[in-house]
Amino acid sequence: MALPSLTLLGQSLLSGIFIGALYGLLGLGLSLSWGMLRQINLAHFALAFLGAYLTYQLAGAGMDPLATLAVIVPCFFALGALMHWLLARFSVSAFNSLLVTFGLTAIIEALIQWIWTADFRRMESAYGEVKFRVGGLYVALPELLTLAMALALSLAAWAWLRHTYTGKAMRAIAEDAPIAAAFGVDVRGLSLLLSGLCAAFAGVAGLCLALSYTLAPGQIYAWLGVVFAAVMLGGLGNPLGPLVAGIVIGVSEALTMAFTAPAWAPLVSFSLLIVVLLARPGRI
Amino acid sequence: MRGRALAGFAAAGLALSAVPFFGLPAFYESFLYLVLHWIVLAVSWNILSGYSGYFSFGHGAFFGAGMYTTATLATKAGVPFLWTLPAAGLVAAVFGVALGAVVFRLPRLRGELFALLTLAVTFVLATIVLNTSIDGGPGLVLSAVPLPAIGPSPSSTFYLLGLALALATLWIAREIQRSKLGTGLFAIHDDEDVAEVLGVPTYRYKLAAFGVSCGLAGIAGGIQAMFVSYVTVGETFSIAVPLYVVLMSVLGGSRHWFGPAVGAAVVTALLYAFTAGDYAVAGRAAVGLILILVILFLPEGIFGQAVRALERRRVSAAPAIDAADPPAPSAATPGKAEGKTLLEARGLSKAFRGVQALAEVDLEVRRGEILGLVGPNGSGKSTLINLVSGHFRPDSGRILFEGRDLAALQAHRIARTGLARTYQIPRPFAHLSVLENVALPAMFGRDALPRGEAGHEARRWLAFTGLAAKAMSLPGELNLHQRKFLELARALASRPGLLLLDEVFSGLTHAEIDDAIRLIRAIRAQGATIVFVEHVIRAVMELTDRIVVLSYGRVIAEGDPRAVMREPDVVAAYLGKPHA
Amino acid sequence: MLEVERIRVSYGAAPAISEVSIRIGPGELACVVGPNGAGKTTLINAIAGLHSIEAGALRLDGRDLSRLPRHAFCGEGIAIVPEGRRLFAGMSVRENLELGSYRRAARARRAESLERVCGVFPILRERLEQPAGTLSGGQQQMLAIGRALMAQPRLLLLDEPSLGLAPAVVLAVLDVIKQINAGGVAVLLVEQNAALALEIAARAYVLEEGRIAAEGSPEALLAQPHIRRAYLG
Repeated sequence: MALPSLTLLGQSLLSGIFIGALYGLLGLGLSLSWGMLRQINLAHFALAFLGAYLTYQLAGAGMDPLATLAVIVPCFFALGALMHWLLARFSVSAFNSLLVTFGLTAIIEALIQWIWTADFRRMESAYGEVKFRVGGLYVALPELLTLAMALALSLAAWAWLRHTYTGKAMRAIAEDAPIAAAFGVDVRGLSLLLSGLCAAFAGVAGLCLALSYTLAPGQIYAWLGVVFAAVMLGGLGNPLGPLVAGIVIGVSEALTMAFTAPAWAPLVSFSLLIVVLLARPGRI
Repeated sequence: MRGRALAGFAAAGLALSAVPFFGLPAFYESFLYLVLHWIVLAVSWNILSGYSGYFSFGHGAFFGAGMYTTATLATKAGVPFLWTLPAAGLVAAVFGVALGAVVFRLPRLRGELFALLTLAVTFVLATIVLNTSIDGGPGLVLSAVPLPAIGPSPSSTFYLLGLALALATLWIAREIQRSKLGTGLFAIHDDEDVAEVLGVPTYRYKLAAFGVSCGLAGIAGGIQAMFVSYVTVGETFSIAVPLYVVLMSVLGGSRHWFGPAVGAAVVTALLYAFTAGDYAVAGRAAVGLILILVILFLPEGIFGQAVRALERRRVSAAPAIDAADPPAPSAATPGKAEGKTLLEARGLSKAFRGVQALAEVDLEVRRGEILGLVGPNGSGKSTLINLVSGHFRPDSGRILFEGRDLAALQAHRIARTGLARTYQIPRPFAHLSVLENVALPAMFGRDALPRGEAGHEARRWLAFTGLAAKAMSLPGELNLHQRKFLELARALASRPGLLLLDEVFSGLTHAEIDDAIRLIRAIRAQGATIVFVEHVIRAVMELTDRIVVLSYGRVIAEGDPRAVMREPDVVAAYLGKPHA
Repeated sequence: MLEVERIRVSYGAAPAISEVSIRIGPGELACVVGPNGAGKTTLINAIAGLHSIEAGALRLDGRDLSRLPRHAFCGEGIAIVPEGRRLFAGMSVRENLELGSYRRAARARRAESLERVCGVFPILRERLEQPAGTLSGGQQQMLAIGRALMAQPRLLLLDEPSLGLAPAVVLAVLDVIKQINAGGVAVLLVEQNAALALEIAARAYVLEEGRIAAEGSPEALLAQPHIRRAYLG
């Protein structure tokens, strides 16, 4: 096995960081709703793809891809809140929320396939072509945007939870909702807010997907394993966890690809996940 | 009973195996094969996941292991197709057992973590298969492998193979549900810790169920490999298998061996109907929608709901039992040994997150006595019971029961030495009937009675505790008083040498306490040794021969109840007169 | 000030308490005693809004609370020290105290309340940045009381504050309760340790099997021999 060149190594590292940022962005909402509301939202991935297709559609109609957020974010916020209301209304357990959102995933996938067909779709936008050259390395604008958004949203979520009254109240809900309510925290309202935010995060992740990737309905499941690994590695409910763990996974994958065959990459994240689950189950 | 069922299975098998001879189009035979194929997968999945509640999302991995075993053996090693099937089952079973041997040791990996872990294992296996010479990327083609002519045509051969495997799977699932293994699995589903304390070897049972479940999925995979004749990683290890299997079981009802078969038939037919009408996409959406609706509105599944309704009607048919005939609770209480040490604890310590719950406690229980364990809340009484029953392990110290050190034993082994306990807050198995709740310890206790006898024993203890009329109810339908007595009956049914009672009287009314005191006297009259933790002073005074007072994890007094309760230290600690 | 009138609260089908009526005057210290499982915790939780009330009325200064959403009880000036403390274990001591002052009226006076609580429990000041779950049992109890005080309550509900505490700590906690009460806060104390509760309360209720079995001044109750026997041995 020949060692890859230094440039190739650098480029791999960089792409690992960028894909890791997308893992983190996709994982953020998942981690918060699982860790704080005990709802495991498998449909998060389907929502992200729905967001991606909507971006594709709106951009095709002449909108600037970034401007589509103005439409997608509020819509997804409402969708997320609605989903939470439904799950709360039937007091669905954490495990059953996994099954319900499994069903929802199948429905959204079918919806996507029905509207946009199973063909591959690629968004054409002004951003897609822009590339910067730093030293010997190339950086594409969409990837940079993804990293920026992942960083911004994760840090914002962290700051919100750590430093504001409502954020602390949210964490109190995660620890003991009835007692939080006894001290005046509006548990229902805040839970709806958080679910809305999580879905909105999925929408933003969808935009990033559309910027960098070719879309197909079957791709929904391709992200599931890796992102769950990032969420669990990062610690449930930890707003910075998915991003950090995502980048660790992304870089390990990229290095695996550089040193061995690309197809071995998926093994990295799952092996990491299995090791963490087995070694430190109490942490999850 | 079993003979009749066997005859039923044979008759169904014979009747169904005649189908290919009606000259149906191959198309229908293939469809019927698919129904049977999904029945095998769903029913086999249910053996671990439905019965014990360990939902696996990794059934696709074991199914795929079987597929690739058959494909590899048949194409690369030239093994005849039928001979590859046992190998397919074996590989999948070994793979499952190896995984379970690691995962089941970690009690935290229940529920959603187990589900996600098994899902991850599927992807890992897929990657390995894809990147090694097992597949290598292009997939394996089985079209050159000769198919034995079991039926008149290839499609009928598949149908007959599927039928044989489906009947076998259903039979196994049925036998397991009705066996000790099944009882143990259902108990694990409701409360694994309690099951272990009552004597169920939870680890081995989960492993056994997982092995059987994976093995059957592996055989189904072997047949399917031949049926599709072209095996690829993408198709084999897709999300479809776990999704559909979970859906089928939940839809049909996962608490009964036949439930998943109903679900499998319905879902397969539904998917087929949509595909035939060129609405494959809508079909998947419909499946998703059905899954959501079933979970929200029919948590027991179609078949489960029907079975529950039937059982209701059978309640009145329960045979009456003579209440005047309670069995001797202890097989090992000859009167001559009375007064000798039965249980001895030495230097027992236990701390939780830095808080010392028990510190260097010595305790002696003499054969045939009733020992009261009293002390204020948080003084370590319940911790002591939890240590003796094996719920926790002591940080240091020894617990000798009839000369054996319990501290090193697993909880289910402690139960088998003849020790039983009740919980302060009753912890019945919520989905098992009152009768089944009481029969379980009889099956797993020291005498390990066979199922039938255990049921009989349970009925006698229910009569003894006045719960005979409630035998067929679920524990949720009982009031607190009845649930407390259910705890008691459950502990007695294992015929323990030593009975540990944790606050049986708390929350009971005066009249109910009188009842309970009478009951404990009756148990005692048969020579049982009892340790009981109690707050109700009246009961302590009326029942105990000796008491031990704990305070802040230490023994502060012991001896004759009346004398001890007058000691100033005890009064201060237990009755809370700080200024006295 | 607080009027609880013939309330009923159930878990599932069986009522945990029924037809329970109690009254607490402004600035009064009342206690509810009774055996394990008599429904004391259910009663106090219902007053704090942790359980919904099926029947009966719950009034604070004449205002009916029984129709309020759960998180609004605190806004009326009720704060609870729940059974088992139920701190937000993963959050710091400071954050626990801040959440105590979550209700709007209390937020403005947060700094002042924090000073007061740290004055009463100096140990908390030293541990402000430590996760609440790492405190010892006694410190956790102090934090639970501190958290409730941060809400600037008019009515403080205490559920078994002596549970699992060493006698010296129990005395300290009792002193604090008396001190808080002396500052004009009405207190409802639920205790299994009847001797302790009857010693400091001005009015006492005996709860048995989900119903009020006796009420009156501690002296009057102690004069009844069956109560003495049942609760003081």
